[in-house]
Amino acid sequence: METINDNIRQLLEMLDNPEAYTEQEIQNIINRDEDTRETYRLMVEAKRSSRQHQADKPIDVNAAWQKFNQMNTPKKHHLGWMKIPCRASRVAASFIAVLLVSGIAFAAIHIVRSVVGGDLKSPTQESQISISHHPNVPTDTQTADTIATSQPVIYDNIPLEKMLPEIATHYDAKVTFVKDDARQLRFRFVWNPQKGIDQVVSDLNQFERLTVTLSDNQIIVE
Amino acid sequence: MLDNRILEQLFRRNYSEMIHLARVLLGDDGEAEDVVQDIFLRVADSDIMPKNDSYLLTAVRNACLSKIRQMQLHEKVKHLLPIEAETDLQPVDKQQGRHDDITAFVDEQMKEPHCSIFHLRFDEDLTISEIAHRLGLNPNTTYKYLAQSIQQIRNHFKR
Repeated sequence: METINDNIRQLLEMLDNPEAYTEQEIQNIINRDEDTRETYRLMVEAKRSSRQHQADKPIDVNAAWQKFNQMNTPKKHHLGWMKIPCRASRVAASFIAVLLVSGIAFAAIHIVRSVVGGDLKSPTQESQISISHHPNVPTDTQTADTIATSQPVIYDNIPLEKMLPEIATHYDAKVTFVKDDARQLRFRFVWNPQKGIDQVVSDLNQFERLTVTLSDNQIIVE
Repeated sequence: MLDNRILEQLFRRNYSEMIHLARVLLGDDGEAEDVVQDIFLRVADSDIMPKNDSYLLTAVRNACLSKIRQMQLHEKVKHLLPIEAETDLQPVDKQQGRHDDITAFVDEQMKEPHCSIFHLRFDEDLTISEIAHRLGLNPNTTYKYLAQSIQQIRNHFKR
């Protein structure tokens, strides 16, 4: 009995100051006999039960989700089917966007040419107007099917401070954040550029955490 | 990739329990957070939903044990982590039940000063001399009481 206590006492002493021991000494102390090994194992369990009891402190799942989403967001910008690095995918997306815009412009010119026949001025102007209505949205916030002007733009998990100025630019409006907290709010928001700014503000107010008003062509976020 | 809305639901439903388990096993909030985030990143990258929520807890347990295996011996001992690979792995809920039983035994059946010494050692990470000083005991007596506390737990759960 005394031997067991001596070994366990040595174990307890070592655990109070493990830095004073070499790895080999630690191994020797813990594995000296079955009782000492079992005592260490029980101490591991005792420590776990203590942590289990103490770990009941509140956990902010919202904050954890936001943090995780920020880590996960760059992955969502990948063009999944291309399996290429993020930077390259952005370049590719830009290139595709340019091609699509050029294609739309070409198609518009071609159709109007066919209809009007020979009159090059007005169709060209029409196509330019159509292009100028394209929202100034970076390709990494767009999905492939949202690049054309009349199509809705999907903002998926994009911070409000990035999303709103882009939308406001389309209406020549400005954005003011009354509280900085709102800047980092993220939503899944589908913006239809064909809607008026009043309607967009109304849509944004559907989010519980958001109060948006429009005053003197200024979008104010509270 | 898993749809973001489904992923969010999964995250919100399971995060608390997962982080709790990782904290219990690793004893370090930052490491625990890393383990859980890594698991959700893997889930996000996959097209397949986890079979059920307990699968996520098992993934946490396995990831924590893997992390512990990679630690230096001094670090393991300092944080009272297992020094050898755990081979007899019970289901997570059974392990948690056993930890609850130990806490209940200490609080309900262990007498003083054993109970206080146990809490000061395991809850507050005090050394024997610090505990002795706190309780006004002789360090040799404190060693003896702590050893007896552990022995009592051992005897109780041997039955």
